[in-house]
Amino acid sequence: MSTITIQNNQHHDSHDDHAHGHHKETFLSKYVFSMDHKMIAKQFLITGIIMAVIAMGLSILFRLQLAWPDRSFPILETFLGKWAEGGRIRPEFYLALVTIHGTIMVFFVLTAGLSGTFSNLLIPLQLGARDMASPFMNMLSYWFFFTACVVMMCSFFVQTGPASAGWTVYPPLSALPKAIPGSGTGMTLWLISMICFVVSSLMGGINYVSTVLNMRTKGMDLWKMPLTIWAFFLTAILGILSFPVLVAGVVLLIFDRSFGTSFYLSDIVIGTQVLPNEGGSPILWQHLFWFLGHPEVYIVIMPALGISSEVISVNSRKPIFGYHAMVYSLIGITILSFIVWGHHMFVTGMNPLLGGVFMITTLIIAVPSAVKTFNYLATLWRGNIRFTPAMLFAIGLVSFFISGGLTGIFLGNASLDINLHDTYFVVAHFHLVMGSAAIFGMLAGVYHWFPKMFGRMMNAKLGYLHFWLTFICAYLVFFPLHFLGLDGVPRRYYAFTEFEFMQKWVTVNIFVTWAAIIAALAQVAFLFNFFYSIFKGKVAPQNPWEANTLEWTTPVEHLHGNWPGEIPTVYRWPYDYSKPGAEEDFIPQTVPFSLTMSSNMPHDFEGNTEAERIQEEWMAAQEAKQKTIVD
Amino acid sequence: MVQSINQHEVKLDFRAKKFIIWLFVVSSTIMFGGWTSYYIVFAASKGKGHGLVLPDLFMYSTGVLLVSSVCLFLASRAFRNQEFSMQKFFLWLTLGLGVIFAYLQISAWGTLVQTGAVFSNNNAAISLIYVVSGFHILHILAGLGLVLGSLFGAYRNISVDRQQFRMEITSIFWHFIDILWIYLYVFLLLNS
Repeated sequence: MSTITIQNNQHHDSHDDHAHGHHKETFLSKYVFSMDHKMIAKQFLITGIIMAVIAMGLSILFRLQLAWPDRSFPILETFLGKWAEGGRIRPEFYLALVTIHGTIMVFFVLTAGLSGTFSNLLIPLQLGARDMASPFMNMLSYWFFFTACVVMMCSFFVQTGPASAGWTVYPPLSALPKAIPGSGTGMTLWLISMICFVVSSLMGGINYVSTVLNMRTKGMDLWKMPLTIWAFFLTAILGILSFPVLVAGVVLLIFDRSFGTSFYLSDIVIGTQVLPNEGGSPILWQHLFWFLGHPEVYIVIMPALGISSEVISVNSRKPIFGYHAMVYSLIGITILSFIVWGHHMFVTGMNPLLGGVFMITTLIIAVPSAVKTFNYLATLWRGNIRFTPAMLFAIGLVSFFISGGLTGIFLGNASLDINLHDTYFVVAHFHLVMGSAAIFGMLAGVYHWFPKMFGRMMNAKLGYLHFWLTFICAYLVFFPLHFLGLDGVPRRYYAFTEFEFMQKWVTVNIFVTWAAIIAALAQVAFLFNFFYSIFKGKVAPQNPWEANTLEWTTPVEHLHGNWPGEIPTVYRWPYDYSKPGAEEDFIPQTVPFSLTMSSNMPHDFEGNTEAERIQEEWMAAQEAKQKTIVD
Repeated sequence: MVQSINQHEVKLDFRAKKFIIWLFVVSSTIMFGGWTSYYIVFAASKGKGHGLVLPDLFMYSTGVLLVSSVCLFLASRAFRNQEFSMQKFFLWLTLGLGVIFAYLQISAWGTLVQTGAVFSNNNAAISLIYVVSGFHILHILAGLGLVLGSLFGAYRNISVDRQQFRMEITSIFWHFIDILWIYLYVFLLLNS
């Protein structure tokens, strides 16, 4: 910590210099070791996109195996060498593929890529701050993340291959280097990468919380914050409270692997060799892991929900329905998410009574989630909807959140989960509710804030193409998996066709794989649009979506410190869209009530009697004027 | 130089950074909470804890750490009263006691090893003693870094605002690791 503090102070010096106009920016300090939150946001976004493309590629590889278990694809051998001898993916590599696909998507794309990008970009911009609480820590946060990505990718190049024990890396499989090839060096690299990742997200999260609580501009009280900020804030709190537990668990796993302790190990026989470890319990890993792991899925979805709240409100030209209910439901999800982890462990021999408790808490968490869904629908209802690509993706999120969320209620019931556990039903459920929904929220954010990030617009037509192909294909991929799951097809199997009763599902798998390939190709439209528009897109106006929030009051050209002069003051909540009596259908947060006398409502003044009196006087004067005109 | 930027914004900046230390304290507490809850669940399911008489050295080290906390408190008070030589004296004392604490902890491990309670143990509760005290020593090292930072600040005579900021974060962190160790020690004593 000491270096951090010292460095912070050094940063202060440079900030002072900047105020004097001596600020020198080199390529390194501007693009690489940047301490500007906007640049760090872009770094997170682009790294996240690259990781997402890699993880998507991995998923196509294992989908090929699932659809055509007996066919050989010689091209695979060209690329993968010994991992696809004879053009067929090896079973060990298949396990590595699903493991790394899950790890990258959950942690690197939907946690760091999503929170890292949009918390960094929007927290200072929407709250009216010059930068984060500690820009230096923010920079470190990115570079730890980058290191984590590199270490994870390195595991593809070690002799024994990447970690293969599933993204939850349950011991004893993950704890015994000799158990499977993937439990060797690959697993060690996975653990190192994860520690770097947790350090990164803690640094980021701590920064976000401190910034939100301490650095809001004048007038920005908590209840005037946009829902995006509420979501990022509560997500960061979740991270701070849950990631350290993962570290605790991972540290014990490292000791079990390399130092001969028995935290998770007991009574193990490999081949004919009896291991000396005794007394540990693999179930304890599951407890520690899921105490993080369950909040983690809310860490993934809450920023996406926050983004879509904002995007849906802006593009419906309506105030978000139930602002307070939205905030309280986020708080409810945050609190409840800590007491539901047991629903991942119904089949571990858990005491049925305890299982019942976890079942009840799990079903209760459906309530705030449903509140949010209904509020989205109520916001859309009779809105003056603008179907921008961002809006389509936000609506897509609502769709996935409903269709995936409903199966969550099935799985939350212990009696049903015991049947459905570790089948494709679970895969279908979480790919819809946290996979597709969260990535759609992220894409909505990219389309919506691209002008803010790069000062240019993305092409809308390509955006529509991207949306419809992705939306339809995501359903075509994940919906059929429900039926596989109900029929008992287990996940993570290399060749389930070896079981006769499952052979009939091969045709469905071929269909799913084709849909996945088309969905993957659709992303090319996005990637082209994204990178082309950075350089060649139409130059963005300052407020392209006619939105109320503070980030659109900053100049299109980025500058260090965000606002050229003083930071603007905030007078109203961020959702004054289509207010009756107003001249335009949006009133930015920086417009004081004295400039909008014709549209002010009594509740706008929050009990300020002086303001109410002035408003009443003004209305009386208006009425008198009207009368004289009529007379 | 300092006057040219808005004083208010700088104050705000320090407040936000101080808050970062508090949040770090929270997340660190939770990490140790993870280990101690592992211990509780482990001990409850196996019906046994570490079953050791903890070495006396842990008791001495606890005393040393407590005294170091008092010294840091005195250093802060001296700083507030602008008695800068006293401040430096007590900071050095804190630093010295911190190093002695770390030394005593490691000797306590030596005693544990001599009695056969080694780290690679089939009783995970014993291994956990090493884990929590080891990670606590890492915190001590970080805390020593902060104390050094305050000392450098005092010698290099940086602005009073920044010195105060350093003293404050050092105090928050050092008192935290003091309380953290007392929690861990009492926990290990009660759950033998």
